[in-house]
Amino acid sequence: MALFAFFQTILLLVSLSLRTCQSEVLSEPLPLTPESLDVSINSAQRCLHLQWRVHSLAYHQELKMVFQIEISRINTSNVIWVDYYSTTVKWNQVLHWSWESELPLECATHFVRIRSRVDDARVPEPRFWSNWSSWKEVNEQNSLGHKASSVFPVDKLVEEGSNVTICYISRSHQNNVSCYLDGVRMHVEQLDPNVSAFHVNNVAFVRETGTNIFCEMDPKDDAGTVLFVSKVLEEPKDFSCETQDFKTLHCTWDPGSDTSLVRKQPYQSYTLFESFSGEKRLCEHKNWCDWQIAQDSQEMYNFTLVAENYLRKRSVNILFNLTHRVRPMTPKVFFKNISATNATMTWRVHSTGNHRTLLCQIELHGEGKVIQHNASIKVNGEYLLSELEPDTQYMARVHCGDANHFWKWSEWSGENFTTLEAAPSEAPDVWRDVKSELGNRTVTLFWKPLSKSHANGKIRFYNVIVENLDKPSELEPVPIPAPANHTKLALDQCSYRIHVTANNSVGTSPASVIVISGDPGNQVEEERVNVTADGFSLSWKPQSGDVTGYVVEWCDRPQDGSCDLQWENLGPNTTSTVISSDAFRPGVRYNFRIYGISTKRIAYLLEQKTGYSQELAPLVNPQVVMSNLTSHSFTLSWKDYPTETQRSFIRGYHVYLKPKEGQCHPGFEKAALSDNSVCCKYKIDKPEQKTFVVENLQPESIYEFFVTPFTSVGEGPLDAFTKVTTPDEHSHLLIRIILPTVFCVVLIMIVCYLNSQWMKEKCYPDIPDPYKSSVLSLIKSKENPHLTIMSVKDCIPDAIEVINKPEGSKIQFSGTRNSLTETEITKPAYLYLLPAEKNYSGPGPCICFENFTYNQAASNSGSCGHVPVPPTAPSQRGLLTSLENLLKALEKNYMNSQGEIPAGETTLNYVSQLASPMSGDKDSLPTDPPVPALCSEYKMQMAIPLGLASPPLSENSSVSSVTLLDQGDHHH
Amino acid sequence: MKVLAAGVVPLLLVLHWKHGAGSPLPITPDNATCATRHPCHSNLMDQIRNQLVQLNSSANALFILYYTAQGEPFPSNLDKLCRPDVTDFPPFHANGKEKARLVELYRIIAYLGASLGNITRDQKVLNPNALSLHSKLNATSDTMRGLLSNVLCHLCSKYHVANVDVAYGPDTSNKDVFQKKKLGCQLLGKYKQVIAVVAQAFQTGDLEAYSDPRS
Repeated sequence: MALFAFFQTILLLVSLSLRTCQSEVLSEPLPLTPESLDVSINSAQRCLHLQWRVHSLAYHQELKMVFQIEISRINTSNVIWVDYYSTTVKWNQVLHWSWESELPLECATHFVRIRSRVDDARVPEPRFWSNWSSWKEVNEQNSLGHKASSVFPVDKLVEEGSNVTICYISRSHQNNVSCYLDGVRMHVEQLDPNVSAFHVNNVAFVRETGTNIFCEMDPKDDAGTVLFVSKVLEEPKDFSCETQDFKTLHCTWDPGSDTSLVRKQPYQSYTLFESFSGEKRLCEHKNWCDWQIAQDSQEMYNFTLVAENYLRKRSVNILFNLTHRVRPMTPKVFFKNISATNATMTWRVHSTGNHRTLLCQIELHGEGKVIQHNASIKVNGEYLLSELEPDTQYMARVHCGDANHFWKWSEWSGENFTTLEAAPSEAPDVWRDVKSELGNRTVTLFWKPLSKSHANGKIRFYNVIVENLDKPSELEPVPIPAPANHTKLALDQCSYRIHVTANNSVGTSPASVIVISGDPGNQVEEERVNVTADGFSLSWKPQSGDVTGYVVEWCDRPQDGSCDLQWENLGPNTTSTVISSDAFRPGVRYNFRIYGISTKRIAYLLEQKTGYSQELAPLVNPQVVMSNLTSHSFTLSWKDYPTETQRSFIRGYHVYLKPKEGQCHPGFEKAALSDNSVCCKYKIDKPEQKTFVVENLQPESIYEFFVTPFTSVGEGPLDAFTKVTTPDEHSHLLIRIILPTVFCVVLIMIVCYLNSQWMKEKCYPDIPDPYKSSVLSLIKSKENPHLTIMSVKDCIPDAIEVINKPEGSKIQFSGTRNSLTETEITKPAYLYLLPAEKNYSGPGPCICFENFTYNQAASNSGSCGHVPVPPTAPSQRGLLTSLENLLKALEKNYMNSQGEIPAGETTLNYVSQLASPMSGDKDSLPTDPPVPALCSEYKMQMAIPLGLASPPLSENSSVSSVTLLDQGDHHH
Repeated sequence: MKVLAAGVVPLLLVLHWKHGAGSPLPITPDNATCATRHPCHSNLMDQIRNQLVQLNSSANALFILYYTAQGEPFPSNLDKLCRPDVTDFPPFHANGKEKARLVELYRIIAYLGASLGNITRDQKVLNPNALSLHSKLNATSDTMRGLLSNVLCHLCSKYHVANVDVAYGPDTSNKDVFQKKKLGCQLLGKYKQVIAVVAQAFQTGDLEAYSDPRS
């Protein structure tokens, strides 16, 4: 071999020496020029592939050479790349070199040339470059086809973060080219009149359907392409392999990002390669692959996982011993012998090969707790779960791992089971509410449901046994079905002992005993309770020895009347506690009663406390009544204002007063209200004081007042002020005079009214009714059929006195009292009635007379202050009434019979008092003028001398007989 | 040829289930016998009108769904990328006689049906997750198939026209992705424009003539 090398070197030296001599002779470089240069294009890879030969080499000659390659774009003078390629050249060897363009090769024409130089140490210096080869033109622009323009590269797949150059070529000269990448305009550089390009650095993944690129120019021409940007392929993470059965290795990994692109690149592929066996497997799944374990007991494995897509490959490697990668199969779990407190768990782990020792973990989940146990097994395992709670659901599970070379736990395998019930272990917590009414007591027994740990099962019912301590009798349990938590008992005044037990399907709890004493108990003073952030802080004085405990009782909802009685049992050595409840609300007063429980289970009230969990300002103000108003003071009172139902403890009241002068009265102080107004305030510190006298006021002044309660958290709302005006100083004097005077007048009027009959009799007695007169009976008794009372209809008037009444005169008639009142006296006019017959002027059957009864009434009325009644037209009712009066008068003893009239006296001038048009029935009113009728039965009542009976006749009244149409018109 | 295998041929096989299917369909003389596989419905023109109304009412929604699914710059460059410049689109003369209009409608629907087949095929590859677009494309294709059948039936039964020569749009299977998107958008823009005119022409019968600029 060494001999061969020696001869080769000699041959090379000889050859070179010979050529050197030739060159020295010819004075020109060695003719080692690259020849047969051929350039091909890989557009997809944007690559130019060059191949050439060096023909000048001698046969079997090898020479180290360097080649200089120049690449121009668009034209030969625009050299864009110069590269050197060194290699050892053999005779007739085809040399290759590639160049990747950042610009798509379709975008521009490229030119390539090459030259060479010997770079072999065996060749002495100087060494010269050969001549350049001729330029080789590379043109892919024919890819435009029939299109007017195109954008390159077409549908290019690149990796996210890479740099891309895009070009836009057109057949026409470009002008004002705009290019957009997913709608974003890019900076475009014009390479030649037909080509523009732009660069995208660190290209981003937009969507798996590709990124649209669009270029347009003037005149209207456009083209586009889609750039497919793939996410970077990641190295698989967490690659591991394990076996459960020594038959299959299960390898898993985290594949990382999905690099697939619609239509352009599928999901990355994964391949497993095991170096010891030299086997290879293409995985069908993206994150796991199964490998069949060979039968030749291969222990060591060296796996390489290769991830691959169109753009790159990534791989990870693991080396492991098979026995160290054992993960046991999931155990199968069973339970047996389940009781109230115990259960046995068994499990089996299938085939892990060679009965390997397994370490197993057992977890017991129940009642919110997790208890863990360990066990070492071969194939089958068993574990006793003890100290379980009765009637409780548990979940127990187990998993196992290889005890010798732990790799991973198996999957958990578990089951639920429920322990059996047991008798309740504790007596129910019982309390009572006693209400006495009419000698009977209603006792409401309350009990709290047993906790699950004490109930030991579902409570079916509660047994209540009432035992009369004063009169022993047979005890009958009363079952109360669950879930009732109270029952009512009607008891008399005896003492009772009550037993309460809870029962489930298995047994009975211990009894809870409470004694209802016949003693009604004592009353205690109510105190206020302290409130802390934790709740109501209660404390009480310790009691002497026979106290077995304390009970604090309260209502959770006193505000709505339902009470919702609550209690808390405390030990005998406890003298304080803090009561808190979610039901406590701000602004609600809670009352707490503290009982001591004696050894005989009798509860007696020790203390009573009250308080608010949070005091709130009052919502309403008292209704204030103002009284005793004088010119200098008035009194305010609000007696019915409740304080127990308030939202906080009332500590007193503020009386606000707006004074007249702006100066506050003594005892008041200036205060600003919530509406920023200023007034005077008086503070009443005693909540029980509900009256206040405002003094030192000015007479005839306006004051405004307002009363509001105040508490530790503020006062009541600002309401409207009430105005009050003080009277003047003398008004009360006037009241003292006027009131008695008015009282006296009213009293007199009442007296007068009550004695009106007496007054009437004294002042204006009724005119007697002649028909009802006792004289009639007297007359009848004399059996004189001719004697009767004169009928008006029988009277033939001889003259009519026309009374000229001016309008406006008023006459009031009082039908009941028959009184007349004249308001205006007018001068009467008289109309003389002509006799029905001319010869009737002589003494005839009709005799005019004057009704003295009427005259008497008139005179009487005149004596009582009545003024003479003027002649006026009375109402018909008045006429009737007068007639009645007249008849009444006739009934009295004023009537004289005709027979008693002396004959000689018939010539006397009688004035007829009755000229009524009435005929017959006195109740029927005449509608026709009075008809003269035979006047045969007039009874003369009284004959008076003419001169006495009538005043001196006036010129118009010189008649012998006058008949008044109205009985009231009896003026002469 | 791929378009024939993928989109057009199945369509033609369905529509022209008879001997000679796939060959150009010349208008048959009036006296030629014309047999349909099933008797035509009595109110065929009403059905044709209703199908045109249905297509017209959904055309704009389909257009919007399409260009939205392609991503930018399509929605913001509708005038450039989706302008209805479709070569060789069959003409339609709204003021022609009913027979002529039906023949033109047949050509248009045949053209559109084939193009929609191509678009549907492309979009299932390019936008596999645009399910609402696929659904709309399929529904439109279904309606077009029914319309084409009705038109042919009517032509055959009333005018004894058994064969109508039709033309199809460009094959997009060998186009680049951007070109496929753009051609589809242009076709749907054209479809939206044409179907409105055709539907109204058959609704009123005497509308102003829609005529292709090339006609």
